[in-house]
Amino acid sequence: MLTALGGSLIIALVAAGLTLGLRSLGGLLTPPCTTAPERVPFLGGLSPDTHAWSRFHVRYYAMALLFLAFDMEMVFMYPWAVVFLREGMKAMVEMLMFIVILTLGILYAWRERALRWA
Amino acid sequence: MAGARLEVGVGQRPGILKRLAAMAPVRVFAISGSESAEIETLLQDLELEQEIVLTDSPSSANVLLAMGEFPDSMHEPARRIHDQLTRPRRTLWLRQNVSAPSEAIFPKAIREDAHCDLALLLRKIHRDLLTGVEPSEAPILPDEEPALWRGVGPYGQGGTGMTGGVPYGRPMPETAPDRDGLALDQLSVRVGPFFRPFPSGLTLALKLQGDVIQEAAVAENPFDAQKSNPYFESGDPFIRALSEPVPVVEMEMARARHHLHWLCNALQVHGLGALGLRTRAIARSLRPGVVAPIAQLRRILRYSRSVSLVGAGVGVIQPDKIRDRGLGPVARAAGLREDLRMTDPAYQELGFEPVVHAENDVRSRLWQRLDEAMQSVMLAARSGNATSGGGGRVEGPRGVITLDGNSLSLLLGLLPDLLHGLEWGDAVATVVSLDLDLRDVRSQRVS
Amino acid sequence: MISYGRLLGELATIAVVLLAGVYATVVIDLWAGRMVARAPVRAFRVLTFPIRQTALFLLQQPATTERPDAPLWALAPALLAAIAAASLLVIPFSPQTSAAGIESGIVYFGALMALVMIAVYLNGWSANSVFPMIGGYRFIAEALSYEMPLALVLIGAALPAQSLSVSAIVISQDSLWNVIRQPLGLPIYLAAGLGVAFWGPLALPDAADLAGGTESELSGVQLLLWRTTRIAVLVAVAAMGAAVFLGGWTGPWLPGAVWMTVKTISLIFIMVVSRHLVARVRLERFVVVAWTVLIPLALLDVFAAGAVVLAGSPR
Repeated sequence: MLTALGGSLIIALVAAGLTLGLRSLGGLLTPPCTTAPERVPFLGGLSPDTHAWSRFHVRYYAMALLFLAFDMEMVFMYPWAVVFLREGMKAMVEMLMFIVILTLGILYAWRERALRWA
Repeated sequence: MAGARLEVGVGQRPGILKRLAAMAPVRVFAISGSESAEIETLLQDLELEQEIVLTDSPSSANVLLAMGEFPDSMHEPARRIHDQLTRPRRTLWLRQNVSAPSEAIFPKAIREDAHCDLALLLRKIHRDLLTGVEPSEAPILPDEEPALWRGVGPYGQGGTGMTGGVPYGRPMPETAPDRDGLALDQLSVRVGPFFRPFPSGLTLALKLQGDVIQEAAVAENPFDAQKSNPYFESGDPFIRALSEPVPVVEMEMARARHHLHWLCNALQVHGLGALGLRTRAIARSLRPGVVAPIAQLRRILRYSRSVSLVGAGVGVIQPDKIRDRGLGPVARAAGLREDLRMTDPAYQELGFEPVVHAENDVRSRLWQRLDEAMQSVMLAARSGNATSGGGGRVEGPRGVITLDGNSLSLLLGLLPDLLHGLEWGDAVATVVSLDLDLRDVRSQRVS
Repeated sequence: MISYGRLLGELATIAVVLLAGVYATVVIDLWAGRMVARAPVRAFRVLTFPIRQTALFLLQQPATTERPDAPLWALAPALLAAIAAASLLVIPFSPQTSAAGIESGIVYFGALMALVMIAVYLNGWSANSVFPMIGGYRFIAEALSYEMPLALVLIGAALPAQSLSVSAIVISQDSLWNVIRQPLGLPIYLAAGLGVAFWGPLALPDAADLAGGTESELSGVQLLLWRTTRIAVLVAVAAMGAAVFLGGWTGPWLPGAVWMTVKTISLIFIMVVSRHLVARVRLERFVVVAWTVLIPLALLDVFAAGAVVLAGSPR
């Protein structure tokens, strides 16, 4: 016997293992790229001057922070959904107050152009 | 084992996997130099073939389709693309004159002229490749690493920079201040000349921060160095109209077809490949007066809000920069009422009024060309035997053409300013919306 | 708790559902594309296309780039496959096979779908090439925006059931499907679902303007696996939508599994057709719309659902 999450872990591992196995099979049928020009990343014909890996400015970081706030709120909503009917109007009003405050946060972020970056 | 069965000897029947693969749609990466109108038409028709797929990047294509003549500066990029194709690979080179002397850009390529049955030929090449009848082409460029691994320590580690040393010969991106004053990495890349959404030959030297363009510059036009231009010698009605009267119906149908082919490319870039193919098919079977298919296409685009999803507020040009420069649809999409046809008696008789859109962004350029195509089809039906032209100036599909040139180079010059600060997708949409053609820019200026 | 025998059964079911779903999706997509393009449809070619294409991709040479992050690159499709397969575990295809003991199916599903972001970013980052990297970068912004509406509409569906279990939600729709009871739910779910599978209007990471983006350095079996697993995610999203909004296996006359299949396929159809009719959205525009329109609408959906539940309760 397994716990349910153990079972799901096994399923995930089997799926991932099959995918990795198939991938290596592709490598067996044909040899991998052999010469240097074959490995140059595609840029429309020219070769790059530098590596592509770079420390770029994640310009949507303000939006990402907003997401964090909402993600936490969502965590509260899961148990709330289960007890909602039992608690009745009280649960509804309490969550509504919470959400209204968060939604004002979105409006503020939007006004401050936190959702745009280019 | 499946692997063992796949290895077939000479004269043996290929394994089931190889036979199935041989029946798969042919994956083609197409690159074009300066080609004749005939070859261009072949490519447009090729997209309508169901068993041919034109890929966006060479890495998953088996056949390289090279079209026309390539100026010297495009040889190395073309060869690099050739090497980037997956194996098994083969090259088909379409040329106006197959026996024309040339330095062998693709030494092993199959050469054909514009009269071949292209789809059939590609399918045969694909079948022969996958069943092992023909061997895969070897890489053309020499097998040289960009540079040796350099670093301080025994594994190349140490030194300065993010990972230390110079891994794999390429340096890490340089650090540069971004527009918020942060010192971060900046990618310097040159995109082109065979980047599919861009017109052939266009190379942009860019400085990227993430997906935002910090700085853009247009590299030299490779076609400047070319002496002859098949496009200019073709029977293009607008080129002919410079020196002789040409039936209005011929010019207007050519204009409508031009705009629809452009629309097909734009729709493909915006993720609407199937509607793009529909546009191609409409362009191919276009008849004067029959606007219903175009009108239906327009309705689909309007109800799905696709055009405003991709282009509202993107790529706005200051109207003053393009006023009175003969930039045709781009100017008219900026609300400028300029069109040589307004002063042409033949067109005045037909009651011609230019279509104008005011928003001046990618969206309005899409609507502009779609509406002009419909207008041209209607004009062609009404024009009867009217002729126009011979005055040395004519309104072409990309704007005014005169004996000394056109103003497309002006649009090229505007690109750095236009692209500055744009997100990558918006930048590509902007370049596409201008309908540039680097061969056209050159031919007009030289002649 | 789940026995090993039951687990094997689940594995077999999931494999069949995913493979059949991927095949159906590819065929529907090709067929819909031909219809939109007004091109003739040759049924035999359309039906055999997935097999022929698979054979070609198996024979192509796998691509590599200079100094890729090879282990992570290989892991990207494997992660997508794991997400798709594991998420199907909580989606009941018939009353008998319902939810292998995972009571909080909705939380589990949402947690798995959040990992899609990591798989796509890995695929973009690992190639050490500019276009895939921009594709991955774009997708993070996209994913952070669709995540909330997706979770919220699922919570809305959980309210009448008083449970986070998908089976309980299916049973709660015995009298009236959620698609009618919560009219905002399904459209928002499908819009967010397109984002999860980065498909059609939200196919931002592998768009044509990036020469294929995260796909642009892939060939052969790598490309095959990436596209297959990505469609598998789409199938999982559609199956969840069918269970949560279209009443899952409930329906007259036919067995539950048939109903579930029909409903899943119809949702796949809607999502697939959108690719051919609606252009790819600009990223910034999507982010703004997701935060200022989709999330408020999803919240409205939750509270409207709550009000309906309260009004209908005996107290």
